[in-house]
Amino acid sequence: MSGPRIDMIGNARRALQDPALQQQLRRAMPSFRRQRDAAVAEVADWEYLRSTAAAIKDHALAHLDRYLTELEMQVAVRGGVVHWAADAADARRIIVDLARRRGIRRVVKSKSMTTEEIHLNPALEREGIVVVETDLGEYIVQLAGETPSHIVAPVVHKSVEAVADLFAAKLHAPRHERPEELAGVARQTLRAEFLAADMGVSGVNFAVAETGTIVVVENEGNARLTTSRPRIHVAVMGLEKVVPRLADLGVMLSLLARSSTGQRASVYVSLLSGPRRPGEPDGPDELHLVILDNGRTRLLGDPDLRAALRCIRCGACLNICPVFERAGGHAYGAVYSGPIGAVITPVYEGLDRAGELPFASTLCGACAEVCPVKIDLPRMLAELRGRAVRAGHATNLDRLFARAWTLLMERPARLWIAGKIGRTLQRVAVRGRRIDRLPYPLSGWTAHRVAPPLATQSFREWWRMDRGGGR
Amino acid sequence: MSRDVILGRIRAAREALAWAAPQGAEPGTAAPASDALPALPPAQRFPDIVGLFVQRARQVGMLVDIVASPAEAARRVASLCGERGMRRAAAWATPDLAALGDVLAAQGIEVLAPGSSVEQVATADLGVTGAEWGIAETATLVLPSGPQQPRLASLLPPVHVAVLAADRIVPDLHALFARVGFLPSALTLITGPSRSADIGLTPVLGAHGPMEVSVVLIRS
Repeated sequence: MSGPRIDMIGNARRALQDPALQQQLRRAMPSFRRQRDAAVAEVADWEYLRSTAAAIKDHALAHLDRYLTELEMQVAVRGGVVHWAADAADARRIIVDLARRRGIRRVVKSKSMTTEEIHLNPALEREGIVVVETDLGEYIVQLAGETPSHIVAPVVHKSVEAVADLFAAKLHAPRHERPEELAGVARQTLRAEFLAADMGVSGVNFAVAETGTIVVVENEGNARLTTSRPRIHVAVMGLEKVVPRLADLGVMLSLLARSSTGQRASVYVSLLSGPRRPGEPDGPDELHLVILDNGRTRLLGDPDLRAALRCIRCGACLNICPVFERAGGHAYGAVYSGPIGAVITPVYEGLDRAGELPFASTLCGACAEVCPVKIDLPRMLAELRGRAVRAGHATNLDRLFARAWTLLMERPARLWIAGKIGRTLQRVAVRGRRIDRLPYPLSGWTAHRVAPPLATQSFREWWRMDRGGGR
Repeated sequence: MSRDVILGRIRAAREALAWAAPQGAEPGTAAPASDALPALPPAQRFPDIVGLFVQRARQVGMLVDIVASPAEAARRVASLCGERGMRRAAAWATPDLAALGDVLAAQGIEVLAPGSSVEQVATADLGVTGAEWGIAETATLVLPSGPQQPRLASLLPPVHVAVLAADRIVPDLHALFARVGFLPSALTLITGPSRSADIGLTPVLGAHGPMEVSVVLIRS
């Protein structure tokens, strides 16, 4: 819908030539996977939890109008205000208007992909409002003028040295080298921001319809400060975040903590039901909940892709994806990266803009296996590839290849002849039972991989001679 | 009105799907979910939930002191303050913590009552709170907010001490949510000290909240 076509292939090529990035990814991703695997392994009924979570989400999605209006009513009963935003511009207008009417000067934010999605910060800054990201990773991203490269670990692309350089340059502080010192500098700087801010903006991990409760999950404590300290709290949620019952959280929180960071429980889970009540010494005076559509109802009406709305943004599919581990999150050129990003970006931003995103996968299936809410990501990617081709996104070479393949597979005789020809031709290319280089257009395959040679005998030949003859 | 637009889109999406996917289509793609909410897992059974809580609390970096009575809990917190030279504590003022506040005050420690300014609470050496429940499987403390239970006492000071009665420990999250009836403006689940691994994947404690969390467990 917006912006130029994402150049995933070009981005990935540049990422592969960035040794610092490669080193970060090769260190981080296996470590994320090990932590997740260990945390999942100690749960006896993991599959049962996954199925239950998928069923809860499917149920909520099937009755989304009912649960969102129930949520709206329950939030209002507890003194909160609900706003509905049809798209990103709508959401920005709601929050900017609110800030303007309340005379807000300083905003602190806790980590929220949804506010990244609606590009909230520049909109507030245009009003002369100071916006400070307070999650340590997001703070670093903001100082560097970058975007998060991972939905859970926003600065996974940056080394300690890079952060040390950044802090020394931007914070006019003596240079520190150790992570705990750097975190200490950030803690001190941000503590002052928390005390000065008059509005806090957070995301929402889950929203409970029956109690009007907003759930925010984190490890640092910045979200607790953001939602407790300033006099106004604005929470921004995608409309798919609603769950029917408070007790559903038992399932959802277990899956989220173990899948995302390999913890049994995240350090802080805040269940917020309305603003501060009479007599309470802290908490915000006002709580505003912004319910965002921005393309989600398009997914909802899409029979093949709808289950992507079950996503709880744990990041497990990013961490296990061989393409993500090499290309990194920025290569996806969109707010949401990895396999889930490759599925939802084409719907949220359009197939034209998404370009090769649905093709940025080997369809190995690992993402579907780790997904805590059982989203069949590989199948969705295959579906989107089909749509991209039908929309005319195939190259002439793709079409030629598909046509040739069809011709070959239509008649057994053609395949047999092609096999004969191939086995004869490949003699010049096979070196030591492998093929290292093929001529154009097949060179694209062998540029990064070794191709196995065709077998000296086709299966049918083998069957006829060996199995048939041996009887 | 965006509200009506969005609700209209949701209903239109459901109607479109009813055409596209008849009942009983492949699960997980488009089949309309049944009207019944799925059953939730029962609480797990552990042979020794207090023991499990203690073991797992230590695994996530919390210190656990087991005491026999509220009076002993108060003495334990007071001696912690003495050892560490702590001068100022932000404390809950719930009835079960009143005696503790008195013991600290008697020792010359300034006890900040609920309603103290946030700037003051930020200068406290220690935050003292109760905990409504503990969760054994995850070693989690559950803290409600309230007039006598400021949220920031467990967040701003560098050290957080929570007093928990052993008979308030439940096996897991499922058991917790089966018990929670009243929801305060903030119900906070705390599992270990504040942490971040954003810089170089190195875990750092005290990212924004306390770098030390101690549980004084009353097992009478």
